[in-house]
Amino acid sequence: MSSPFRNSFLPRALPSLHAGRGRGWVRLSKRRFASLAHPPLAPPLQGGGFIALAFLLALAGCDREQRDMNGQPKAETAAFVPRGDPRSAEYENNAFHIAQGQKWFGWFNCSGCHFHGGGGMGPPLMDDQWRYGGRMEDIVASILYGRPNGMPDWRNKITEQQAWELAAYVKSLSAHPRQDALSARADEMSNTEPQTLQERQKVVPETKAQPSGEEN
Amino acid sequence: MRHACLRILRKPSIAAFMLLCSAFAAPLAAQHNGARPAAAASPPEDGQWTMPSRDYASTRYSGLNQITRSNVRNLKLAFTFDTLNRKGHEAAPIVVGNMMYLTTPYPNHVWALDLSKGGRAVWVFRPHPAPASQGIACCDVVNRGAMYANGRLFFTTLDGEVFAIDAKSGHQVWRNKIGDISKGETITMSPLVAEGKVLVGNSGGEMGVRGWLAALDAGTGRLAWKAYSTGPDKDVLIGPSFKPYYASDRGADLGVHTWPAEAWKIGGGTVWGWISYDPQLKMIYYGTGNPGPWNAQQRPGDNKWTTGVFARDIATGQARWFYQSSPHDLFDHDDINEQVLLDMPIHGRMTPVLVRPGRNGYMYVIDRRTGQVYSAEAYGFINSMDGVDLATGRVRMVKEKAPKEGRVIRNICPTASGVKDWNPSAFSPRTGLLYVPHENMCMDEGVFEANYIAGTPYVGADVKMYAGPGGHRGVFTAWDPVRAKPVWEIKESLPLWSGALATGGDVVFYGTMDGWFKAIDASAAGGGRLLWQVRLDSGIISQPVSYRGPDGRQYVAVVTGVGGWAGAIVSAQLDPRDPTAALGMVNAMRDLPGRTKPGGTLYVFALPK
Amino acid sequence: MRRRGASLMLLPLLALAGCGGIQTIGGREGREAALIDDLFTLFCIVTGLFFAAVMAFLFAAYWRRGGHRADRMPDEGATAPRDRGLRIALFAWTAAVIGGLMGLAVASFLTDRSLAYSTAAGRPVVSIELIGNQWWWEARYHFPDPSQNFRTANEIHLPTGSAAMITLKANDVIHSFWVPNLAGKQDLIPGRVTDIVLTPTKVGRYRAQCAEYCGLQHAHMALDVTVDTPADYARWLAAQTRPAAAPTTPQAIAGYRFFMTRQCSACHAVAGTPAGAGVGPDLTHLMSRRTIAAGTLPNGTGPLHAWIADPQGVKPGANMPYIGLDADELHNVVAYLETLK
Repeated sequence: MSSPFRNSFLPRALPSLHAGRGRGWVRLSKRRFASLAHPPLAPPLQGGGFIALAFLLALAGCDREQRDMNGQPKAETAAFVPRGDPRSAEYENNAFHIAQGQKWFGWFNCSGCHFHGGGGMGPPLMDDQWRYGGRMEDIVASILYGRPNGMPDWRNKITEQQAWELAAYVKSLSAHPRQDALSARADEMSNTEPQTLQERQKVVPETKAQPSGEEN
Repeated sequence: MRHACLRILRKPSIAAFMLLCSAFAAPLAAQHNGARPAAAASPPEDGQWTMPSRDYASTRYSGLNQITRSNVRNLKLAFTFDTLNRKGHEAAPIVVGNMMYLTTPYPNHVWALDLSKGGRAVWVFRPHPAPASQGIACCDVVNRGAMYANGRLFFTTLDGEVFAIDAKSGHQVWRNKIGDISKGETITMSPLVAEGKVLVGNSGGEMGVRGWLAALDAGTGRLAWKAYSTGPDKDVLIGPSFKPYYASDRGADLGVHTWPAEAWKIGGGTVWGWISYDPQLKMIYYGTGNPGPWNAQQRPGDNKWTTGVFARDIATGQARWFYQSSPHDLFDHDDINEQVLLDMPIHGRMTPVLVRPGRNGYMYVIDRRTGQVYSAEAYGFINSMDGVDLATGRVRMVKEKAPKEGRVIRNICPTASGVKDWNPSAFSPRTGLLYVPHENMCMDEGVFEANYIAGTPYVGADVKMYAGPGGHRGVFTAWDPVRAKPVWEIKESLPLWSGALATGGDVVFYGTMDGWFKAIDASAAGGGRLLWQVRLDSGIISQPVSYRGPDGRQYVAVVTGVGGWAGAIVSAQLDPRDPTAALGMVNAMRDLPGRTKPGGTLYVFALPK
Repeated sequence: MRRRGASLMLLPLLALAGCGGIQTIGGREGREAALIDDLFTLFCIVTGLFFAAVMAFLFAAYWRRGGHRADRMPDEGATAPRDRGLRIALFAWTAAVIGGLMGLAVASFLTDRSLAYSTAAGRPVVSIELIGNQWWWEARYHFPDPSQNFRTANEIHLPTGSAAMITLKANDVIHSFWVPNLAGKQDLIPGRVTDIVLTPTKVGRYRAQCAEYCGLQHAHMALDVTVDTPADYARWLAAQTRPAAAPTTPQAIAGYRFFMTRQCSACHAVAGTPAGAGVGPDLTHLMSRRTIAAGTLPNGTGPLHAWIADPQGVKPGANMPYIGLDADELHNVVAYLETLK
């Protein structure tokens, strides 16, 4: 994929806005033809244009020195979704997206490693520790691009919208989300409590340390 | 006991053993049941510990007898060694001559310690397995140890590679990548080396992999044969020499016809446990793991050849017989536990058998030659099954406890981890008893349709485990394999995840998950008396061993480092607020973080000089 | 006023439009439907007769009492318990009601037993597991040899003359299964297993529709039921059991690669390929189906393009997401899907 966001979601992908418009494939083809139409080429060079041509050729070397002059130093990690993505606010704390994310969480086997937030093969998601950052953008980056210690990349297995919905759900597991956005029903079977009933303070073990030698 | 001693006397190879017999014959005479390890698979004591199971018969018995019931309480720390790794340490230290070798969990370092210099590290081998393999290891990133043979050390890495390294120098001799992590395959088991073959199987029964056991040439690492646990007969290496005892295992391509179409390709049956080898019959014995997914409704049929034990010819890999402990497994009852090769009286005749504490809770006594089950008695609390029908070999399932899609079935005993998981038991020829560290837990299970996506989990179950009847989660049982009944039991608060060690001084050792290392009176009369215990820095889930040091003294070594399926709540800091975490194990272990901490240290004990 | 009255009269006629064709109540193409239809007819006749009798009595009473006493005081002499004829009529009427009700009860009982007989031992039984999802049907055919089992979606085939035992499950919410031509309704309830037996008697194509409101696309949750002769059915079974053939044309191969490496294979399965996911419909024999998206669109090249390019435009709210394929990818994927015959 040349750019990570080539397939980024325009608002048209949202079901509510898009309902009933149909015939998407026709439009899609049109869009493709539009992109094929290149701008007309410059008129052929004449007379003393050779000097200009030489200049132009020299310009070709410029890109090897290209750099981002005003940018901040970028993080070393390859997985990166820029901060301040407008989708962050759109998805986080949205009841529909959290519920959808909860569904994808089971469908795409996230729950096979992270279970219902407590972790197993993968790290827990309901605690307050984030190995790779806990903002929506970081979570989406973890989902889409994977992480080196075992998190697979889902870039080509789910859509970006699903990744954002998953992030909304994941975020809702640990943070203090809006209670009215949470699902009052756990999607999984009755072995877990619905999110609205989960306590959200720090983990305290139930029993204190004690030697176990006395049983004998 | 006298009779046993006389019989043993005729075999010169066990002459040393005779001395022990005469010394203890009188007090034990009334109890000995006549069981003894298969002679060819259990060489005489040489003070070494070259493989995790001690010998091909998997006795985990050290004939050394300096440490006895009366002096074990004087055990003192000889030295320690920190592996610098804080994941679950399941491996057994390997002792060869003056050297000890330790394998660690991922990143699977191998440490060589010089015992003549107080355990100083001589070299370390770093295989650099792929980091992504951590994400597909179902139950912590464990490794169960190396094996020494012919000057080389053989071990596996989590990302599916087998290494042979020179035991002296620590230089690599060969390596062979036989597992594919993109399919979800990892390797955690300890290889078994016999007859010039390195036997290794894959892990990943929770990831929709297809299980296999591979034999590599010990000299070159090249693949000699590979036997799959599912699929057509030619993949499973089933040929004319395959003669299973029970009718339900006979037929063409059962590895295909007992599955829904295509399901066998992702059907599990991984081989991640223990292999025993009988040099006399030239047969290996090993168990196959659970079928995938856990949700049994997705895979109608008997799901051959998962959750059973195979006997194969070591040279060709051709199957000889197969016995399926859990046809159409409902509860993730991997059948990978150890098989202890014994010769013992059955109906008055000495018979070559293998004794295996099954994960489903039955202690199987199976004929090594034919696969006939002589007895299968429960050694723990079971309510999801109702005994084994010896005529058909099939276990009787309790219908009410079978998981159903969309429901939660409560109080299923035992759990998915079984009455006993991978942690091996030990057999003492002196007492004739098998010492079984195991669990006493139950679970609620709800199953649902699992979605197969390559390289991701393929389970389809929400599980919640908790202590079984009595409230204790672990049991250490001394089992009489001949009379098929327990002799004594020790109740433990936490499930036992460590192996057992039996010694010639009639002391058995095991560790608990909160870091107690215990010495128990092995005798039947002792009733499981605790002789000595010491609290170590972290929980113990490894396999204790005993060896004769360069100074001639007997040592007992154990590695701490809690982890594994049951200990991941500590080593991976899982969150106990989610009862289903770590396949439901976290719910049963929620007190563990308050009782121990991550670790990874070798402790070696000896009597004072 | 008159016009409105006329249009009101037309309404029942409109309802009659539902009768006949591939989805009709009172269809007699299945043994069970015929039995129920017979019972229904019997009920209609019996209750119709009684209704007519009640009406007759009502009118008789009306005529008899009509406009006698001008002062509207009770007419003591008119009610005559001593009237022998009336007494006999009363007894006869009571007996007729009791007899009628008993008759209907017996008829219901016999029909019920007859329905149960469909699955009695010895009769050939087709075993199908039907699972309701928002908003599509998954059908799994089960055989004694599980390696013959296969899955399909939004369609079932049944042979004539054999009882088909259909077990019903739901994955998300309550749905209801109803092929009016073949049998009565049965609900699909999450966490429970229900069942229904169909014994089709007439070759044909019928339509089932989710009959319990189940969300946004409830209306687009149809099931295509084909009743074949046993020979045709066996042919269909044999075809369904085969895994998908490998694609041959370059375009289909490109589509195959896309399918296996991209979002498609995270939800859909194609037997014989690495795609084994189960949350979306099994596509192994997609092109043998008449419709896609649970009866939303007819099957074919154009509708497949439309559906894959923009599922949310065709069926808003469905779980099939907008992937954002470019035109080449779209053509390739459709070319591959068209090989799944």
